[in-house]
Amino acid sequence: MVKKNPKSSISEDDTEPSVVNENGKRSAEDQNKDGAKRVRTKSLYRQPTVNELNRLQETENLFNSNLFRLQIDEIIQEVKIKEKTEKRFQQFFTELKNHLLSIPQDGTDYDLSEETLAKKLKVKLPISEKLSKTKCVFKFHKFSNVEIVGSYALGCSINSKLVVDLQIAVPSETYTKNDSVNYRYHKKRAAYLAYIAAHLSKFQSIEELQYSYINDSESKPVLDFKPTGKLGNHLKVRINLVCESEAYKLHRFSPERNNLREAWLFNENSENATEVGPPTPYYNSSVLSDLTATENQEFLNETLQRSENLKQAVTLLKIWLRQRNLNVSGHVVALLVAYYVQTKRINNIMSSYQIVRNVWIALKASELDTKGISLHKGEGPPSLEEFHKHFPVVFTDKTGYYNICWQMCRGTYNALKRECALAVEMLDNGKINSFIPLFMTPVKPLLKFDHILRFKNLKKLKESVLSKTSKEAKLNYGVEQLYLITDVLYNLLAKGLGNRVDLIQQLVEADFSWAVNSSLDKARIGFEEKLSFGFVLNPENSINVVEKGPPANLPEAEEFRAFWGDKSELRRFQDGSITETCVWEGETMTERRTVTKQIIDYLLKLKFAIPPTATYYMAAQLSSVLARKQWASSHVLYSDDSSLSVLQAFDALRRDLRQLTQLPLDISAVYGVSSVFSYCNPLPALPHPAPSRPWQRGNTCLVKDSDVASMPEYIPVCTAVIELGHSGKWPGEIHAFRCLKAAFHLQIAERLATQYSLPTQAYPTHIDVLKDGLVFRLEIGHPKEITLLKRELENGVVKFRESEESVKLQCDTVLMPRLRGALHGLHQKHPSFGPTACLFKRWLSAHLLHPHFPPTVAELMVAAVYLHPQPTQPPAEPTVGLVRVLSLLVNFDWARDMIVLDFNEDMSREEITQIEQKFASDPESAPCVRIVTAYDGTLPSVWSNSAPSKQVLARARLLANSALQYIEKAVLQEYKDNILGMFIPTLSGYNVVIHLHPALVAYSGERVDSSPSLKRLGDAAADVIPVTEFQPVAMYLEELTSAYGDFALFFHDTYGGEVIAVLWKPDINDDREFQLTNANALKPVTVNGETKYRVNIEALIEDFRILGEGLVKDITVN
Amino acid sequence: MKATKRVQDFKCLPLKLTADSEAPHTIYMKEHIIREHTKDKPQGRTLLVVNVPPYADEKGLVNAFREAGSVQSVQLCLKPSTADVKVINRFIPEPNTTTFRAAYIVFKKVAELDKALKLTKLQPLNSEDHQVKVGMKKWIDEYNSCIVLPKTLKENIETFMKQFDENAQKAEKKEKELEQEDDEGWVTVTKRGKVQSFARTEKVENKIMQKEEKNKKRKELKNFYTFQIRESKMKHIVSLRQKFEEDKKKIVQIKQSRRFKPF
Repeated sequence: MVKKNPKSSISEDDTEPSVVNENGKRSAEDQNKDGAKRVRTKSLYRQPTVNELNRLQETENLFNSNLFRLQIDEIIQEVKIKEKTEKRFQQFFTELKNHLLSIPQDGTDYDLSEETLAKKLKVKLPISEKLSKTKCVFKFHKFSNVEIVGSYALGCSINSKLVVDLQIAVPSETYTKNDSVNYRYHKKRAAYLAYIAAHLSKFQSIEELQYSYINDSESKPVLDFKPTGKLGNHLKVRINLVCESEAYKLHRFSPERNNLREAWLFNENSENATEVGPPTPYYNSSVLSDLTATENQEFLNETLQRSENLKQAVTLLKIWLRQRNLNVSGHVVALLVAYYVQTKRINNIMSSYQIVRNVWIALKASELDTKGISLHKGEGPPSLEEFHKHFPVVFTDKTGYYNICWQMCRGTYNALKRECALAVEMLDNGKINSFIPLFMTPVKPLLKFDHILRFKNLKKLKESVLSKTSKEAKLNYGVEQLYLITDVLYNLLAKGLGNRVDLIQQLVEADFSWAVNSSLDKARIGFEEKLSFGFVLNPENSINVVEKGPPANLPEAEEFRAFWGDKSELRRFQDGSITETCVWEGETMTERRTVTKQIIDYLLKLKFAIPPTATYYMAAQLSSVLARKQWASSHVLYSDDSSLSVLQAFDALRRDLRQLTQLPLDISAVYGVSSVFSYCNPLPALPHPAPSRPWQRGNTCLVKDSDVASMPEYIPVCTAVIELGHSGKWPGEIHAFRCLKAAFHLQIAERLATQYSLPTQAYPTHIDVLKDGLVFRLEIGHPKEITLLKRELENGVVKFRESEESVKLQCDTVLMPRLRGALHGLHQKHPSFGPTACLFKRWLSAHLLHPHFPPTVAELMVAAVYLHPQPTQPPAEPTVGLVRVLSLLVNFDWARDMIVLDFNEDMSREEITQIEQKFASDPESAPCVRIVTAYDGTLPSVWSNSAPSKQVLARARLLANSALQYIEKAVLQEYKDNILGMFIPTLSGYNVVIHLHPALVAYSGERVDSSPSLKRLGDAAADVIPVTEFQPVAMYLEELTSAYGDFALFFHDTYGGEVIAVLWKPDINDDREFQLTNANALKPVTVNGETKYRVNIEALIEDFRILGEGLVKDITVN
Repeated sequence: MKATKRVQDFKCLPLKLTADSEAPHTIYMKEHIIREHTKDKPQGRTLLVVNVPPYADEKGLVNAFREAGSVQSVQLCLKPSTADVKVINRFIPEPNTTTFRAAYIVFKKVAELDKALKLTKLQPLNSEDHQVKVGMKKWIDEYNSCIVLPKTLKENIETFMKQFDENAQKAEKKEKELEQEDDEGWVTVTKRGKVQSFARTEKVENKIMQKEEKNKKRKELKNFYTFQIRESKMKHIVSLRQKFEEDKKKIVQIKQSRRFKPF
């Protein structure tokens, strides 16, 4: 018989716990339990059972896919609270309840403005200094019950960081009629909590008894503690005080009512001033949430208790929210689900997948900020419009008086809506396994936001903001200033940035807990709340330099001027309109990316006198890596700007080429191949001035064999492929073909020179052309050459086989041009792609990985971040882009998954599956980084086929991980603006270090750690092609790898590295077998009279010196 | 390396670049003896050397063995091979790979080979009139020499094409001759003959096979008999099951990597 294992949901179909669709399907399953005893053939052709058919069908209809369903089952299992824990907690709770209910009655009246109560209780009261002017007399009335509420009671809690909510209803006698005003209610509530705390401190089986302010909510403390023993490892307990609903009539707390007197807050000395001020909806809600808690909890129990699927859906939604770091409590989610059940948007027959999906779709389309929703039906409570006047987000509860979303900021709501939209998009995208990004991937602020604004000194900020806000607002928020500030700043930022940002989200870290027997003020020393705002930029609008306002003659212009202050000026535009306008700095693309920062700095200064030094702005920290250090024009040269000028020159050249006459075959197309054509080259070619006194042959300079210092500077070429018109006359033999190709090169070079008087130089393999001071290298690409290379004769039959040479040629002349075009398109769509790729390549190279981690693979990884940004959107800022690529490198499961880069939706699901199966069937020969593009054709993952190796990948992941930790620490804790430390490699761990002459190293002045010394670019050379692609270090490295690749690995920083680090292979010291064909570098050694063979390491090191004569300065052996 | 040792049949000697090299490589040499000798590696006069360092060139090796006698030719190759080296007429020469190589050194006289095998010390590769080209000098030289004037390039192309055309003509002539009936009346069928035949490539063969298969399939009836209908239904279920099984496997894999811990 099949062994049943109820724990694992995937063990056997029939033993599947009935997680889905138990309504009506129970009977079928029960039947099957008997059926399980039947001897079954394990084959695929066995007769299906009713249950199995149902399940297979259900999966097709109710779930996205099998995989999705199985994954949901798994995750639900995973987050479920273990039965053992539940049992233990039940036992603990019974004890706790008995203890709590044994609390003695106390008839004494305590004046809360004195210390008597605290002295008697021997615990401190969780009341802040700000409430000291509230005077009231407190008398303890015993409560009647302790209840488990919240997610634990509903059965939709998550086992990690589990907090079980207990609720105690304070008897209504505790409060008098007038206690609702001026925080008297809150003060008494705090005293009541202290009373319970005092009683609990005598209870043996708890520890870490603490008061907590949740989200800096100073008026409403809660009591946190942990059960002792093993149970404490799994969960915490939180006691929340609510109020019996009979205490007050709810309408006293309608949004329009005032319950906090101006006189009290602004210290006008008379506690009993009766003048009623402006409405205090926020204050009111804080009382209402206690009054309505019981009723709402009952409603939730009623709705959710019955249906497993609804509970599962709520759990899933909670996991999703937590992964997204959204400040939306499980309570609100549960109530939202309940609302959609009430409105019949979802029902309990739906599968959890369908419920979650429907909730997302509903939330995506919801407009709680303008058209609120209510759980209450019928007349009575104030209208929703009234709520809208006072709250940014409106969702009223069962009673109709209490706005469940009273603490939700507009930013949070917008973020929630946005995430819902993204979630639905992910579900609908059939090409990815949407489960992983939806539920398994945590979205950290650093990954999600393009820019982050942090305030360094919150106390000062509070003061400066408060001094500029209206009395009404201050009154409404009372002592809870953080909410007020967040709200004010949010509104300012939202207005100032407008459509430049897609999302502004506040990030508040203000939860504060302290032990019950220490006083609040003492515990608060050293604690500071943290406030930051994250921005997701709109890639198009955010780089706009001009902020166009209304026309000058309209009344709105006045408002615009008032908002922007001196920055606003009148401007006349090309279309004839004269409008108020703000203009920001932005000459280069990199500068334009900081317009958002400029605006924020300006507004904060203007409105609240907060200087830029008081804030930390995480955005363009790495832009210096993208800037040239040796050359400048009128401004600093950034890689994307230089790339653009290369592209412009290339376009002109392309036009010239197409119009060439008198060629036997026309030029039908010219494709860019070099990485500069997709903005991916960190140090693109610059128009260099003509060399002085050149030694030339033809049109090209030669290298003078003189001293080291006068070697020409490295000038790269930009490679492109020429496609000729069709002809059937190409020879069918490879060498003759190449000869003819050379003839074409010669002719094209001649024509270019005569028709456009461009300096050209023809080679057998390519043509060099000088255009606008840049050297372009053109090569004719023809598919026949590849075919000829592949041709093989076997038993008289012509067969075509891939060879190393043919694959290389195919990559260079066919695949790369297409891929380059696609990457160029990607950059046009996401202008941060190029700079991100540059950063990533520089990072890899800085850690000496570049030769082992092919640049194309690096570019494709970056492309993956843009094409598969789930669970976020493509980044608009290169620094964030780099963080994302690094975290992709670290978190992606390279051993199991592959990345599909389908630039234009060309690949079908079947093709992808086929490739996947191909790799799965032959895991040995599959590359360890599998990135398949739509252009790979018959060679899937061709770019990463030979490199990086497993070891290099592991090393890159290790480095990426520490780089991420470094950034996180530097940015989120230390407010560092210089995070270049992540580009500094370590040379320890290498066996041999070869030091090179700096003058012979390409880009030696462009190293990340070298300081800039800018020279102005002069007039570009026009009549002679300079020495190009003369890179001694590259040639040296090539020789080293080809000669000694069997014994060692060589590491070098392509962008100006002055050392080559050598790592021996681990078996370097082993004894070797002497073979005729493999005697390389062996020396005979006599060990115990026997002759053995070992690798001659000393000779190898001397060889390094010999091969690099003139280039190597020194060699150190570690 | 003071003493030279005989290992198997090989004799080992250190080979220095210059006289003051400190850590030279050890080269291994023996007489080149195989069953059938080729012309360029004559019997009795050829010395096989392995583990020749990457920077060594022909002239350098001549220098190294100058004490043994005069060297007729030096042939460097990647792996020792007995086959005759075929000369292919290449337009673009094969790139030189820098690596350890094997060398066949042919001496003018048989006695010189014996002398070479008895050497206890080799001369350095560099001598006064020959310096091995390495490092910057080599790279500069390579760079400069690859730049040719258009005129020279044109000449190169013309001579190569002329030779190629001649060869092609020769080949054609040969093929034509084959088409003539031989003594016993046989005719060889070639590409260019009167008798048309299909090209013998993989693609064409595959095409023919596919056609055959198609023809076979056309004759079959599908969903005609009851058992066929039943089978096709079963097949649907099987495919669903297969997908399910595959997904289950995937989940097990994911589970093994403990990826279901969301937090």
